[in-house]
Amino acid sequence: MAGHRHDEPESGIVLRVKAIESLLAEKGLVDPVAIDHLVDYYEHRVGPRNGARVVARAWCDPAYKARLLEDATTAIAELGYSGLQGENMVAVENTCQVHNVVVCTLCSCYPWPVLGLPPAWYKSPPYRSRIVREPRAVLEEFGLTVPRDVEVRVWDSSAEIRYLVVPMRPEASEAMGEDELAALVTRDGMIGVAAV
Amino acid sequence: MSAMADVTFERIAAAIEAGASTRRPDAKVAQRFRPGDRVRVRNQHPWHHTRATRYARGKTGEIVTAHGVFVFPDSNSQWRGEDPQHVYTVRFTARELWGDEAAPNDSLCLDFWEPYLEPA
Amino acid sequence: MDGIHDMGGMHGFGAIEREENEPVFHHDWEKRVFGISLQAADSVGFCDDQLRRSIERVPPEIYLTSSYYELWLASMEAIFEEKGVLTRGEIERRVEELKQGERDG
Repeated sequence: MAGHRHDEPESGIVLRVKAIESLLAEKGLVDPVAIDHLVDYYEHRVGPRNGARVVARAWCDPAYKARLLEDATTAIAELGYSGLQGENMVAVENTCQVHNVVVCTLCSCYPWPVLGLPPAWYKSPPYRSRIVREPRAVLEEFGLTVPRDVEVRVWDSSAEIRYLVVPMRPEASEAMGEDELAALVTRDGMIGVAAV
Repeated sequence: MSAMADVTFERIAAAIEAGASTRRPDAKVAQRFRPGDRVRVRNQHPWHHTRATRYARGKTGEIVTAHGVFVFPDSNSQWRGEDPQHVYTVRFTARELWGDEAAPNDSLCLDFWEPYLEPA
Repeated sequence: MDGIHDMGGMHGFGAIEREENEPVFHHDWEKRVFGISLQAADSVGFCDDQLRRSIERVPPEIYLTSSYYELWLASMEAIFEEKGVLTRGEIERRVEELKQGERDG
């Protein structure tokens, strides 16, 4: 999916989608109002702020962190997040010994309930092809240097398990409350291409 | 999400949040492998849809997690039924997959359905 | 299938392009494709496995040069045709009608 040119679309694709939606609606197979709601949900109800709350809670509450690492689906649902592409979650924790990073080399699998829909780069051939073979070089391009003595562990989402990286809590953050901490957590940190 | 009447945002949200898991906990399928087992990805190259990545075929790794039973995509993708199988996370050293160019301490974890694996 | 989609470890793809403050959807038509796919999965009766199979059967040169949602759309069209739900002929006719409508409007 390298040809993601995001300038003005050709009217061809716009008309084709209109044609298909109208035909499917006439056949009773889709409801345009439901489509509006689906889009609204994925534009506003889910996104990385969800995952950031999960991470911040794990940083503040050791018992929650233990539950998250043991059964991420249930722990994430405790905070109210669940559903499509997150039915079988695993949380992987960054430590001084291991840095985790997630990909779907075969398509674009991604934990929607905690991170929303994936960015174009995550779905692109350069990321999908290179992160498994040369993760350290890719992470450098993202601005992250992983020390040689830290293991880089790449998780390829080749089945229905969806992965959430729990970044390391930043130093000098002891005084911060959960909301402040959540604001530090980025989507890239929860994919594993950033430190936090 | 095909509710044609009374389509509200909250009904859509509820349907999304219920999800559509392909886990099949009630399927009675014997589990062949356990965490710690050494396994090899079978040297199979089917024409049909599969989720055994080419870069891991013939490679040896270790079972990290047994996840339970899930709909098997090789069968399901061809409209041939769910045929649920056990899924495992298998960990490979980076050098096993990429040779000596890879960092000596890096690893990759991939998820495989049991029919993709054989004992090593 | 040993297709182009199975690209882990392939050489030659170059730098990873990233967009600052990327929106969830870049175009309105992408939103409609996304919504159609979630609805049609239930109403027409297909799931991710079948959608992925369909995407993977797209010729490599088209796979690599299409945008993400273009691929989804093409894959769904193939499934609709396979299931006898909507043919490409019907789609083409409706596209012509819409074009005519735009010309007249």
